[in-house]
Amino acid sequence: MPEETVIAVEGLHKSIRNGSRTVSILKGIDFSVPRGQFVAIMGSSGSGKSTLLGLLAGLDTPTSGNVHLNGTAISYLPEDRLAKVRGRTVGFVFQSYQLVPTLTALENVLLPYELNADDASFAVGLERAKQLLENVGLGDRMDHYPIQLSGGEQQRVALARAFILQPPIVLADEPTGNLDTANGSHVLELLLDLNRKEGTTLVLVTHDPVLAGYADRRIVLRDGLVVSDERSERAAELVR
Amino acid sequence: MASLSYRTALKIARQEMRASSGKFFFVVLSIAIGVGALTGVRGFSSSFRGALLDRARSIMAADLSARMFQQPTEKEEKGLKEIADEHIEITPVTELLSMASSAKTLDPLLVSLKAVDPKKYPFYGSVDLQPAGELKTMLRDDTVVVAEDLLVRLNLKVGDSLKIGDHIFRIVAVVTNEPDRLSGNFAAGPRVFITQDGLDASGLLAPGSHAGQRYLFRVPKPGNGAPISESDVAALKERLEKLLPEAQVIDYRETNPALTQGLDRATGLLSLMSLVALVLGAVGVAMAMRAHLEQRLDTIAIMKAMGAGSGEIIRIYVIQTLLLGLLGATLGIALGTAVQMAFPYFLGKLLDVPTAVHLQVRTILTGLGAGLLTTLLFTLPPLLDIRGVRPVLIFRRAMEESNDPFVTALFRKLSKNASQAGAVVLILAGLAAIATTLSDSAMVGEVFSLGLVVVLAVLLASCAALLAALRWLLQRTRLRLHSAVRHGLANLYRPGNPSAALLAAVGMGVMQITAVFLVQQAVVRELHISSAPNLPNVFLIDITSDEVAGVRTLLKGQPAVNADPEFLPVVSSRIIAIDGVPAGEAKLKNFPKRMLQTISLTSFDAPPEGTTVTQGEWWKAGETRAVVAIGTRTAERLGVHPGSKITFAAQDEQFTATVSALTKSDGQHTFSRAEFVLNPATLKDLPTVWYGGAHVDPNRVGEVQRALFKSYPTVTVINVAQALETVRSVVIQITYVIQFLAAFSVFAGVVILASAIAGTRYRRIREVVVLKTLGATRARIGAVFSVEFAVLGLVSGIVGVGFANVIARMLLSRMSVTYHFHWGWTLGALLATSAMTIFTGWAASFRVLGQKPLEVLREE
Ligand SMILES: Nc1ncnc2c1ncn2[C@@H]1O[C@H](COP(=O)(O)OP(=O)(O)O)[C@@H](O)[C@H]1O
Ligand SMILES: [Mg+2]
Repeated sequence: MPEETVIAVEGLHKSIRNGSRTVSILKGIDFSVPRGQFVAIMGSSGSGKSTLLGLLAGLDTPTSGNVHLNGTAISYLPEDRLAKVRGRTVGFVFQSYQLVPTLTALENVLLPYELNADDASFAVGLERAKQLLENVGLGDRMDHYPIQLSGGEQQRVALARAFILQPPIVLADEPTGNLDTANGSHVLELLLDLNRKEGTTLVLVTHDPVLAGYADRRIVLRDGLVVSDERSERAAELVR
Repeated sequence: MASLSYRTALKIARQEMRASSGKFFFVVLSIAIGVGALTGVRGFSSSFRGALLDRARSIMAADLSARMFQQPTEKEEKGLKEIADEHIEITPVTELLSMASSAKTLDPLLVSLKAVDPKKYPFYGSVDLQPAGELKTMLRDDTVVVAEDLLVRLNLKVGDSLKIGDHIFRIVAVVTNEPDRLSGNFAAGPRVFITQDGLDASGLLAPGSHAGQRYLFRVPKPGNGAPISESDVAALKERLEKLLPEAQVIDYRETNPALTQGLDRATGLLSLMSLVALVLGAVGVAMAMRAHLEQRLDTIAIMKAMGAGSGEIIRIYVIQTLLLGLLGATLGIALGTAVQMAFPYFLGKLLDVPTAVHLQVRTILTGLGAGLLTTLLFTLPPLLDIRGVRPVLIFRRAMEESNDPFVTALFRKLSKNASQAGAVVLILAGLAAIATTLSDSAMVGEVFSLGLVVVLAVLLASCAALLAALRWLLQRTRLRLHSAVRHGLANLYRPGNPSAALLAAVGMGVMQITAVFLVQQAVVRELHISSAPNLPNVFLIDITSDEVAGVRTLLKGQPAVNADPEFLPVVSSRIIAIDGVPAGEAKLKNFPKRMLQTISLTSFDAPPEGTTVTQGEWWKAGETRAVVAIGTRTAERLGVHPGSKITFAAQDEQFTATVSALTKSDGQHTFSRAEFVLNPATLKDLPTVWYGGAHVDPNRVGEVQRALFKSYPTVTVINVAQALETVRSVVIQITYVIQFLAAFSVFAGVVILASAIAGTRYRRIREVVVLKTLGATRARIGAVFSVEFAVLGLVSGIVGVGFANVIARMLLSRMSVTYHFHWGWTLGALLATSAMTIFTGWAASFRVLGQKPLEVLREE
């Protein structure tokens, strides 16, 4: 196979005990994603998209099944090992930004670098953080605190933060969901641009069919199962 | 939602409480511990004080005594009868010197007679007899009970007869303890108890006899088992002073300064502890409720978007606050009651005082009221904030989020917002009212309320200054610091960070806890001095100058004597004139002119042990001019002050001495009996007798008495060992109780602070999760928090411990206890604070660290 698999999902189940009842959220999901692919995950609200994305990032433990990132089975790793793997391989963008409120925009972007880069040459990280902030159009807001930024600006900081370590995988859960149309498309453009420039594998959860139209591949969930998994024509063209 | 009914409001409030029961656990815990400490400390100390005060009363054998200098007039008799009709018991005690002799040998001996009504006397304490028996039944009109000294001197035994005046009495027992020995005259001659009728029969009470007459009074105990109210005693005292203008009226607290001071200081300290418990609880509540309301901002915004008015929303949270307050206060009262029950059990081994615990409804109601009121008061400002919440928050929450330390926010808003200002005034007034109600010591209440305001202001200013400094530092060094340190510090200084509120709260808590500790240490130290085991408890009277050296050697050789004896030279004298005014015309206050005829002078080159100068200055050693130091109270009565001139006469000589110093004595030494101390040169050639004092093993006084009698038969021994033992044991018990209760309040305070810190973890969860998502390990997150908590602990420790020293100093100086700065304790308190914050911060965050990120993120 010419394609190198970065994400492999095998028989993923997730159920949650709610009082005496057990609710099945994911009921057996299998798929794999090759390097550089842009995957859109779609589905109605409550279909399990966020749960799936969380499992992909190792933010939660599945009930059964496993997730492999770059060949490492991550689902049952101890917390601290998991944190390390996550830090190095996954950039995450949340619907509600999730910036650290006590740190400036620049420090927020720099944070994953400081946490994870082994060869942490501080100057290199700083340069890159500044560059990324310039790229997302916030070169003049580096010393601002999240509280001083608008939603769209905060999300752009979050984007820069997700890309600082040049992670092989970026996961984004409705990154434009909280933004108005203009801001939303701005953020999206940046995301795609960064994806293209950095050659990152991108998994994006979205409701928006237009947005999903840009993707190489669309996976649709319903009631915790994959009901459709198709490559777009545009995507087929792009695949070498 | 046109108008929210109370029922709906109640329902919403209860649902919210159920939904986040974990968080409310800390609110309820804070209130419960605060109220628990309050009711526990107050309840226990009030029952315990009651028991102690009863013992203290035994030193006077009454609540009050009035020493008469002449027969009561008709009007006075009538007044006394009126008092007796109000169920206040009265009994007369007559003391006089008389000759007694063995009916067989007729050898005369000067004895100190004490005539009592054995059916009533003593009101408190007991006269212990050997062979054992009750005074009531043993002492009849034809019997006497006597000091062992008398038997030794007259070579008699129990059962023999004693002739007093022209009557013969049978000796039925030896007195081993006379409770009010300290409050009588220290007259020469062994004690002989006789009934009032017996005294009448003896014919000794001839007109003009120098009998000393006292009336003892007992105020009835309230029916509910509560201790006798202090104000009843004070009221009776005032009434008696008016009724008997010539008499010296004193209450039982005045008999022994050590006891009085011990009780006063204990009262002050216990008041302080109750107040501290209360405010600490309130701090805990304020912290937790604030955090809660912050988290509810979304809900509030949604409700507003749906048309709910601020008033309706406030209603929900007021109900919630009241429910929480009620729950916490009820739990607290249960806790306090349990604590009260447990104290006697723990203290049982140390105390032999009956510690019956009466649950006082008043204490319980005070606890409940104080708990509810403080909870409400401290949640008022955040509640009022609700009015400022705009519905738009739902969309742009982060932009509107404001979690300033509440007091900063409060002061900032003051300028804009009149109702917030009203809230502040209300809180302070409410706290002052609670403090005044609770404080048995007005002084403590005053210092405390004032202190609270000042401390809050200064604490706030220091926090602000510190945060500014931190910000400055961070801006300079920002990216050069290690990122964990930078992040930890940033957590503290972020503009409007709740850590600042925590800083102020912890600082205040630390201050209060440390203040309690410091005051307690100082008070206990002084109590130890005044209950030192080697103070003289046996006094010797009429030692001639030739005998002094011999008596000293003899005492030192006695195994039962366990401290160096003290000797006091005394020159009998009288006062001829004061500032040139002849004694007969002098204006005196409560000082019978007759007493100017019998003044004892003594001489020292420096203030004797236990005596301190309160005004003026002591003379230099070797002073040759005639100078005199006088006890402050005597000076007041005589109307003299430093610089006044007093003319004394001794033998045929007259001399005028200048008052050089006014003094105060601790009442613990032989020297305390010296009211007039002159320089040795002035008294050099005058005839001197000596008084002595020694500490003798209380059980072996008889042994020493016999040895002394054998060699120095003219020396009188006065045994106050038992009475002093009573004083000492009461003081020691006060010490134990103070230490125990202080330890308890400190512990309760630490628990509340810890829970306030732990309560902040709910705020941290999200941050932890974000960091984890970005690849932070637990160790890394732990490092960030450690930096934050270490700085928090250090800063609040420095501010809190610093202020604690200031407050302790103020309170102690008001209690006239010496304050000493202790590096050890100060550093210890500082380290303990840091350790506590780091530890609790860690312990509280530990569970947060283990949480799966997604569970938390989902709670958006
Ligand atoms: N902790 C939980 N407890 C109960 N139900 C949950 C929990 N987490 C998720 N669910 C349920 O699982 C389903 C999928 O949730 P989610 O993955 O967030 O859906 P999506 O992101 O597609 O809207 C929803 O029905 C949700 O209610
Ligand atoms: Mg979702």
